[in-house]
Amino acid sequence: MKHLLFIMAMCIGLLPIYTNAQDSKPIIAKDLFGDLSARHIGPALMSGRINDMEVHPTNPRIIYAGTAGGGVWKSNNAGTTFNPIFDDYCQSIGAVEIDPNNPDKVIYVGTGETWTRNSVSVGDGLYKSTDGGTNWKKLGFDKSERIANIIVNPNNSDEVYVAVLGALWSDSDERGVYKSLDAGATWSKVLYVDESTGCADLAMDPNNPDILYASMWEFRRTGWSFNSGGDKSALYKSIDGGKSWNKIHNGFPEGKLGRLAIAVAPSDSNILYTVIEAEKDSKKGLYRSDDAGKSWKQLNNDFGLTVRPFYFSRIVVDPRNPDVVVKGGLSGSISRDGGKTFKGLGRMHADIHDIVFDINDSDRMYVGTDGGVYRSWNGGTTMEIVENLPLSQFYHISVDNEEPYNIYGGLQDNGSWYGPSTSSGGINARDWNSIGGGDGFRVLRHPTKKIIYSEMQGAANVWRYDVENKLIKTVQPLPKKGHAKLRFNWNPPMAVSEHQPDRFYMGSQFLHKSEDMGDTWTIISPDLTTNDKSKQNQEGSGGLSMDNSGAENHTTIFTIAESPFDENVIWVGTDDGNVQVTTNGGKTWTNTIANVSGVPANTWVYHIEASVHDKATAYAVFEGHTTGDMTPYTYKTTDYGKTWTNIISDDVVGFVRNIQEDYVNPDLLYLGTEFGLYITLNGGKSWSKFTKNMPSVAVHFIDLQKRTNDLVMGTHGRGIIIIDDISPLREISPEIMSKKVHFFTSKPTVMKDQSGFSGNFGAETQFVGRNPSKAAQIKYLLPKRHTFGKMTLEIQDMDGKKIASLGPGKSKGINIVNWNYTIKQPKVAKGKTFSFGGFTSPRVKAGIYKAVLTKGKETFEHNFELVYDEHSGLSSQDRELKYDTTMKMYNMTQDLAYLVYELDAVLDVVTNKNKKIVASLNDLKETLVITTGDNYVGSAEPQLREKMADLYSKIANSYDKPSNAELDNLSIIEERFNKAKTDFAKLKKKARLKDFKIKTFEEFLKD
Amino acid sequence: MKTLKFTALGLILCFAVTLEAQSVEDIIENYIENIGGQEAWSKITSMKVTGVGKQQGVDYPFVATYMKDGRAIIDVNLQGNSFIVEAFDGENAWNMNFNTQKAEALDSESSINYKNEAKDNLTGAFFNYKAKGYSVELLGKEDWEGTECFKIKLTKTPVLVDGKEEENIDMYFFDTENYIPIAIETVIKSGPAKGATSQTIISDYQEVEGVYVAFSVIEKFNGQIGIEPSFNMVEFNTDVDEGVFNMPEEVIETKKN
Repeated sequence: MKHLLFIMAMCIGLLPIYTNAQDSKPIIAKDLFGDLSARHIGPALMSGRINDMEVHPTNPRIIYAGTAGGGVWKSNNAGTTFNPIFDDYCQSIGAVEIDPNNPDKVIYVGTGETWTRNSVSVGDGLYKSTDGGTNWKKLGFDKSERIANIIVNPNNSDEVYVAVLGALWSDSDERGVYKSLDAGATWSKVLYVDESTGCADLAMDPNNPDILYASMWEFRRTGWSFNSGGDKSALYKSIDGGKSWNKIHNGFPEGKLGRLAIAVAPSDSNILYTVIEAEKDSKKGLYRSDDAGKSWKQLNNDFGLTVRPFYFSRIVVDPRNPDVVVKGGLSGSISRDGGKTFKGLGRMHADIHDIVFDINDSDRMYVGTDGGVYRSWNGGTTMEIVENLPLSQFYHISVDNEEPYNIYGGLQDNGSWYGPSTSSGGINARDWNSIGGGDGFRVLRHPTKKIIYSEMQGAANVWRYDVENKLIKTVQPLPKKGHAKLRFNWNPPMAVSEHQPDRFYMGSQFLHKSEDMGDTWTIISPDLTTNDKSKQNQEGSGGLSMDNSGAENHTTIFTIAESPFDENVIWVGTDDGNVQVTTNGGKTWTNTIANVSGVPANTWVYHIEASVHDKATAYAVFEGHTTGDMTPYTYKTTDYGKTWTNIISDDVVGFVRNIQEDYVNPDLLYLGTEFGLYITLNGGKSWSKFTKNMPSVAVHFIDLQKRTNDLVMGTHGRGIIIIDDISPLREISPEIMSKKVHFFTSKPTVMKDQSGFSGNFGAETQFVGRNPSKAAQIKYLLPKRHTFGKMTLEIQDMDGKKIASLGPGKSKGINIVNWNYTIKQPKVAKGKTFSFGGFTSPRVKAGIYKAVLTKGKETFEHNFELVYDEHSGLSSQDRELKYDTTMKMYNMTQDLAYLVYELDAVLDVVTNKNKKIVASLNDLKETLVITTGDNYVGSAEPQLREKMADLYSKIANSYDKPSNAELDNLSIIEERFNKAKTDFAKLKKKARLKDFKIKTFEEFLKD
Repeated sequence: MKTLKFTALGLILCFAVTLEAQSVEDIIENYIENIGGQEAWSKITSMKVTGVGKQQGVDYPFVATYMKDGRAIIDVNLQGNSFIVEAFDGENAWNMNFNTQKAEALDSESSINYKNEAKDNLTGAFFNYKAKGYSVELLGKEDWEGTECFKIKLTKTPVLVDGKEEENIDMYFFDTENYIPIAIETVIKSGPAKGATSQTIISDYQEVEGVYVAFSVIEKFNGQIGIEPSFNMVEFNTDVDEGVFNMPEEVIETKKN
């Protein structure tokens, strides 16, 4: 209240001059989103990948986490909980740096994650905040794609270094080490090798800011392979602030080098550590220099030190002890003997990317993993997870039609899950159910049975899970006689059919069809890919360290779509650029890619959406980032692919991963891009980015729940995000924009009787996803914001009687006002303490109601319907009894309030005149309301007010009709109240009041 | 009781607004001029607001009184009882405990923070902002829900959070058509949501005795509305019982004992 009223005081208005002239410009969707807002439901229990951790140099409470796909999060309580501070910008983070000279205000964020696995996102440059993260300004590096480090000179805030790792999938000259002498305004490149070699790690001598160490890494990824290492990889040192650089390889292994990490011991600048990826396995691992890089000695090449250099090349030295060294890795490793021997860090999620020590106490550590941030209080032996980081990285989601509906999806490195769209007390960690291991990808619910299909990478397992009987079997297609070896994508496509519930499709290079939920498979296509053998040598992938995880499998089918109109029309898209269609159930196939112009050959077909409006219509999303092409591509065909039309406008920034068609309005489309959600109202002529509580996160998959019209997004870094009921967007047109107010149509609202217990344990520090509103929602569109003069919204019955007064929304665009279908709480007799039952607001009856919006002198009306919840099983007679009894008690409560008011007024008049009457009145009053005690354990014995209000509340809050026990109790209360009224009337008569004037009952209620 | 005068829009005040005038000083000057001007506001010594706070379907009638010197009290009527949710006597902030319905002092840090902002209670943060040590910066134009706005960063007196001083910033969105704030974004300073941003949406500006007041102020967090106060009446320079701002003495005595 304080803040609101304070602001109220501050907001003193001025006079408007504006006309009612309507805007004749084209409709811009983003101006109209208004109260449509996204809600985040996590899950957070498995969190997601962290790229970089950062501590505040003087305040141990402040910790930053730069995440792989979920932006920058800040903790103000020493890592207990985190909040996001970078939602409006690219969510893939490479590095976070705090200016040590101005740590409360100046923060740099380098975008683009740097642990270059196949599924990494891309960055779009360097950002800076000078007010602690409230506002951000971009400092360029638009093409840098990934930034590995940012270092500010601890003695001079103007001097800043940026290590740009650069493009992963293509040549780029925006790489190397950059330096600014004006706090980021201008930059010069001080170390550059070539277009395929970037700076993977940069360190500054904390005691001499002119001394820098830079690890340069030659690397490249394609859709089908990865190469780490080459002649250009090297470790460099500069002693003159980056003017000149020299290789420091004395003691290094011969031959090509791969990714190197570098760390300077903060407590002794002569001690350096590097981990080296070399040609020979025996020469890989940890090296140490005790002479500031003049010479190096290999100390250790355990698995933990050499594993997957592209993913784990991070060394951190204890700020107080140069011999305590921590290395990122599959489990993470810690040495307390200067790097000679290591042990694993405590049990936590695998894949450790960064570690930071508390600034004062080395027992306290914060560790960034593929499964979020962990804290340790005992030097890394025991780890505990931060529970409020909803960074889950979905590849795919789907929804069912249960009530409430469930969301299914597969996660990067965190298996497959499903959870509800609403739950008692919010959507908690415990609401999520695991339905698959490994990396999770597509998850589909059988259209009619409680069976879920899920999978892991490369279709190594495709699970069919019978939810009711808890039976699991694997059903993936297996090699068949007479067919080539099956090639499944790492993220293999599956599909179910709207026509045949037991039908199940999977794609390798062939389309596989099963009519019995995966028990029997038939191949219904030839190889639909290019079958380019040069892209099928995954055993050779990895460069200096072999890395054949299956993540690079290529020339595979990636998307399958059966037409909802015709089961014989099936679309298939491949990762090597084919858009295939059959119109005869797979007997013949046509590759339509030649009809698509403007997309480079062999560009990944990421998604095909078969239209729900027309049999010959489909949308194809092409995605070229694995060739370095970040262009957004989405095409539409209306003739089975004979012609394709580009539907992307200049509004869209970032490559596209998914499109969802609206089920009602064919011009309304939803586009998932690497930098957020876009919506078009005109079939793609123009797009608007949706930013209402929606971060600029990669949206990998979108589904639209048919019953609720909820737009459900699987994001790769911020979990599941839902926009509840997007149906108002369907109605927006130039016609309604010309109206002063347009009410959107709405389905009857069910007054929910269902409820539950939530426990709330752990909610202090755990992420809890928001539930949708249960309220009746009045939705209307204002073509222009309401700023001046009174605007009110009343709910009236059909006779025009006021039922409730609501706070109307005044935004330009869509406004949504919630009404919890109650009238206001009864006026309760004044006592010493509060009557808690009296705070209950009773529900109205089902029926048609009017929303009456008053704007200036004009009123606008809209009828809407409330219906009862059928789950409670009450007859209409039961409903009547419940309503009548509730209102009888509501009125009785107000009658008692008036009686006590009148009694107090009489007392005021007779005080000191007639002690006997005063005593009698006080005696009576003490039976009516509590006159002593407090609202907690000092509460007095309940009196008539409390008993009446508690019974009223009990009946009003129950889903059920009043029980016999309640009705019996009511008769006792009624009897007692009648007696009180009689007693009061007698006392009042005895008091012989003259000119006794009090408020009427109606005045009293209004007051 | 004085009655609100709802004068037809556009009749009273002359505008000094020119669309080219886009320096932050100009915007604030125009804003103050248009809401009645420095002189009119300087004559106001107290403001009394009568309204209803709505939260989750429950109405809470309240009366809030703000003094020019920063003293303030917000009195909510709960079942006929006065319940003080916020009060400030010029040095100390206090409120009532729900269980005992008795006054309790807020912690000293809250009082210091309250005192630092209390001078804005009546006239708003932009009045005499330079003298108060505040700074402003125009960050450019930005749309707020489809309405073009000037985005102005206001840096106020630092706020104390758990014993440490932190920068105190509000982002104001001034409608470019009318030069008035229609929204504020604030980074939450303490509590579990510390660091997250909340939005305050301002509307229903109405004329009261020659100056203009926003009668509707809604706070949103993550797209959800919290408490929603709406003002029924705003009065200036009414008779105010000076004693109401002080924490009830019996409690102070109890504490001394």
